[in-house]
Amino acid sequence: MSQQVQVLEPPTTILSEIWARHQTAITRLAAVVIALGLWEWVVRAGKVNPLFLSSPSLVFEKLYEVFADGSIWPHIASSAEIAGLGFAISIVLGVPVGIAMGRSRFIRDSTEPFVMASYASPTVAFLPLIILWLGLGVWSKVVLVVLGAIFVIIINTEVGVSSIDKKLIETGRAFCANEREILFKIIAPAALPFILAGFRLAIGRVLIMVVVAEFYASTSGLGYLIFQAGANYDTALLFAGVFILAGAGVILNSAMRWVEGWIAPWQAKNSD
Amino acid sequence: MIEISNVTHRFGNKRGAAAPANVLENVSFTIADGEFVSFLGPSGCGKTTMLRIIDGIILPSMGNVTIDGTHVRGPAPSRSMVFQEFNLLPWRSAEKNAEFGLELEIQKTKRADRERIAEENLSKLGLKSFGGYFPHQLSGGMKQRVGIARALSTAPKYLLMDEPFGALDPMIRELMQIELLKLLSADNRTIVFVTHSIDEAIFLSDRIFVFGARPGRILDIVPVDLPKPRWVDDEKIKASAPFVAYRQRIWRLMKDELQRGMQHAD
Ligand SMILES: Nc1ncnc2c1ncn2[C@@H]1O[C@H](COP(=O)(O)OP(=O)(O)OP(=O)(O)O)[C@@H](O)[C@H]1O
Ligand SMILES: [Mg+2]
Repeated sequence: MSQQVQVLEPPTTILSEIWARHQTAITRLAAVVIALGLWEWVVRAGKVNPLFLSSPSLVFEKLYEVFADGSIWPHIASSAEIAGLGFAISIVLGVPVGIAMGRSRFIRDSTEPFVMASYASPTVAFLPLIILWLGLGVWSKVVLVVLGAIFVIIINTEVGVSSIDKKLIETGRAFCANEREILFKIIAPAALPFILAGFRLAIGRVLIMVVVAEFYASTSGLGYLIFQAGANYDTALLFAGVFILAGAGVILNSAMRWVEGWIAPWQAKNSD
Repeated sequence: MIEISNVTHRFGNKRGAAAPANVLENVSFTIADGEFVSFLGPSGCGKTTMLRIIDGIILPSMGNVTIDGTHVRGPAPSRSMVFQEFNLLPWRSAEKNAEFGLELEIQKTKRADRERIAEENLSKLGLKSFGGYFPHQLSGGMKQRVGIARALSTAPKYLLMDEPFGALDPMIRELMQIELLKLLSADNRTIVFVTHSIDEAIFLSDRIFVFGARPGRILDIVPVDLPKPRWVDDEKIKASAPFVAYRQRIWRLMKDELQRGMQHAD
């Protein structure tokens, strides 16, 4: 039986094997290469002024330059500090609030209007006010990042906690688990995939908020660098800054996905 | 001893739904220590509800539940439940699921002990090499057996089993019945066993409670007087005249009840 089936399959070659295994990666890589190639071409062919668009070769040259002379590192360090602090504070505050909202109807009903309104509103608008309160130091930027990232964490945690299968909680109770055990042995692991997805979504917002905050309230950082590059018509440097941020976003995002898959492998049942 | 007197239960009124009917009405019985009792009855007649009431997961709307002389107000470690829908924790391996009850503060079991107990129970249920598997990697029947191992781990005096063999194929099912009786013969547990299978109920039970539906109530209690241990010459027992007579008697009861239910269904 199985032999007959095999005969019907096309003969496998090394190339078709590689393709079958890495189809997604190959397609993605090809799309990126083609896009960069087109970009390079429109600039080189003189269709667009390099001042407006720079070009991949100029951007990569600039990237090499700023890494080689080390001038980029203080900016990266400064942005990373704000991003890291903001993300950490968002987690430490957001997860407990989300759990409380998911567990208690009263807390949910009373906090949801504020959470939803803040989530939907452009919190960047508060930046001038925050600077007024906290000055131009690190903390005004951290607060802006927290405002940008915390609500998506709260909302995801709340959804994870409130959508838990009631039967699992009942099972815990049937075995006489106390409230703390119900929280840590049942609710937390059940909500974990949602919470991690919230972290992943928050990372994108963290990066945006860091840049915006540094536009206005900084003398260092990638946002400051990009803003200055724009002001000086240094388009290649502007793109170099954007590339670094995009790279950080992609790496952090895949790292979070990997963590999700590693911590919550049972979720794999949904995909296969 | 489990004493149920005049238990009536209805679930809370959902908005928009018709006024809730009684799921159980005026149910009374007692189960002695060491007895094996089966609940047999059509789907929806309240068997699971009755089991949850005995466990203390839900409290009845009316009536009394007393176990070992104490009024039941909630779950207690003396009772373990094997759930109809397994209710395994998906983030725990089979072994970790089987350990769950022992991990809780109320049981105060050392790690080494609970690992040993979980492993023993899994291997008694034929899952020795599946300890590391997660629920989504197990078949329905395997999941049910993990649920049994979990319930056994806390060495409960009362074992409440809700269709524990429902997901097994008929042949494995008969084997598991024998294994269950052997497993339970070592210690004098009291078993309440829910099933849809008349043969299974007769083979396993000391007494069978036959339930009727709408409202859920006990139609009859059938004491089963067959030689023990039943796993010796089980095929002879199943073909014996008394066994067949029990089957006829119970089927007649259930057939009348089901036909009555069909007429009311529309
Ligand atoms: N949580 C609940 N809320 C409302 N109604 C419920 C609830 N649980 C059960 N019921 C109702 O109670 C009745 C009895 O349900 P129960 O699960 O006890 O039946 P059962 O005898 O175990 O059926 P089955 O053999 O199909 O498992 C059903 O009509 C069901 O709709
Ligand atoms: Mg049931």
